[in-house]
Amino acid sequence: MSEHDPNSATIERELAAIDEALVAGSASEHDPIARELQELALALRADSPEPSREFGEELHLRVRVGFPDRAGSLRDRAGSVRGSLRAALPALPSARRLLPAMGATAVLLLPIVVIVFAAGGPPSGSGGGAVRAPRAELVPNPREAASDGAAGREQGADDSIAGRALPVPPGGGFEPGRRERRIERSISLELEAPVDGMARVADGVTAVTNRHGGFVLSSSISTGEDGSGGDFELRIPAERLRAALRDLSELATVRSQSQSGRDVTRDFVTAQDRLQAARAERRSLLRRLEDADTDAEAEALRARLDLVAGEINGLRGQLRDLRLRTDYAVVMVSLVAAEGGADEDGGASGSLDDAIGDAGELLVGFAGVLVRVLALALPIGLIALVAWLASRPLRRRRRESALA
Amino acid sequence: MNEAIADPIPIVARSRAEGFAELYERTFPRVYAYVASLLRDRSAAEDVTAQAFERAYRKRRSYRPGRGSMEAWLFGIARNAALDELRRRKRRAGLERDPEDVDALGPEDHAELALRRATLHAALASLDGLERDLIALKFAGGLSNAEIAGVLGMTESNAGTRLHRTITKLRKACHE
Repeated sequence: MSEHDPNSATIERELAAIDEALVAGSASEHDPIARELQELALALRADSPEPSREFGEELHLRVRVGFPDRAGSLRDRAGSVRGSLRAALPALPSARRLLPAMGATAVLLLPIVVIVFAAGGPPSGSGGGAVRAPRAELVPNPREAASDGAAGREQGADDSIAGRALPVPPGGGFEPGRRERRIERSISLELEAPVDGMARVADGVTAVTNRHGGFVLSSSISTGEDGSGGDFELRIPAERLRAALRDLSELATVRSQSQSGRDVTRDFVTAQDRLQAARAERRSLLRRLEDADTDAEAEALRARLDLVAGEINGLRGQLRDLRLRTDYAVVMVSLVAAEGGADEDGGASGSLDDAIGDAGELLVGFAGVLVRVLALALPIGLIALVAWLASRPLRRRRRESALA
Repeated sequence: MNEAIADPIPIVARSRAEGFAELYERTFPRVYAYVASLLRDRSAAEDVTAQAFERAYRKRRSYRPGRGSMEAWLFGIARNAALDELRRRKRRAGLERDPEDVDALGPEDHAELALRRATLHAALASLDGLERDLIALKFAGGLSNAEIAGVLGMTESNAGTRLHRTITKLRKACHE
């Protein structure tokens, strides 16, 4: 056991004695050990090195002028840039103070960036209502038109091609260059329009029809909370069908379309031939009536003329009907309300409920991505934090190894 | 010409500069003494002291009063600068050796004082690095035990106990 093995009270008393001596500048303790410690403390303080006056004046000057950087040094140039920035942006806090904000911003931006890259581009209103579908190609190229025309000839009638527009050659038939071909066409279009834009689209349908020389055979529009919609039955001149369909598709989003065509050339030619024959027969009957010798013969010829006249009238009506059906295409347009209330430009213009619903879906999406990102970022962050915390004493120990 | 008009300085910047100047005036001799005690080289001590004050000046916005006194913060910076210098010197120790001129006696030192100082320095040489650091912080730096604890990253009672143990060891070494 050593000669002086102090307990905690002794330690406190002797430390206090040392501090008293340092304050008073003299040893005052009666206890020999405490007094010796006081004298040792005073000796140690008196032995402290003192700075030279020159050094003191030089450093004092540097403190007074704020440690100016040497002209042209890297720190000097960085300092001048920093000074310029501070002058330009005086309200900005220091970078250290901005770090938490920058970190929070990064945490918020990271999911957005991930979403954008995961989606392959910026968000385009998904969840915010109907997305405008790519415009249907209503007018295929001439090669496709010819091919379709050939297919139509082979199939004969009722060639229904959903999702594609019928080819409309300039002559009005399926087969280019055959003007005598008579095709009966029927087109169905389903247009999706926002509820508040329904009237505008309906007016547009009528205007397009009139502009292309067609007419509206029937129309109905309904609006209200139960649902909004409309149906149009249009007749569009066959030679203007291509342009009219293009204009109609520009009024709103084309949700679906179907087309069918029926080749009625045979019926038309047959009716024409029969009419021609009936007319020839009538001319012959008239000549024979002029030459009739007896009343009975004349009466029989008149009866036959009546039948032929009836047949001619019927054939004329049939031809007129065929011409009407082939000269004008039947276009059925259905207007349906867009889900989510998106207008044709894709912007949100629906009710507040829809907007809140969309916002909720968007938030859920963001939250999902955020959870995934955090699942990755949190462990990495924790590891980095632990490594940083572990490295602090290591760095401290390495630095203090210089004292050993 | 009125100096204030000729060289206008923002009030905040001026008060900060004045605050640091006050800190400098209050601590400069003690910081130098502490650094010189650690390095035992006047020339290196001047460089490191200037470096410490410059670092503190540039980092003065990072000082947080809640973490301790400004003096403890400044001495922490000075300590790190001195330890870095010691490490550099250790690396180049094989090539050159810095003269330990801090122990040099002035012409006014008389024999008794020279003897007492020699005894004290011999006792100090028996301490290890951390013990010398503790002694330097206390008696050259003039820090309180709480401030020493802040600089060394330990509790105040631990700092007091270690200080007491070290000075007791030093007393014994002086008797040997």
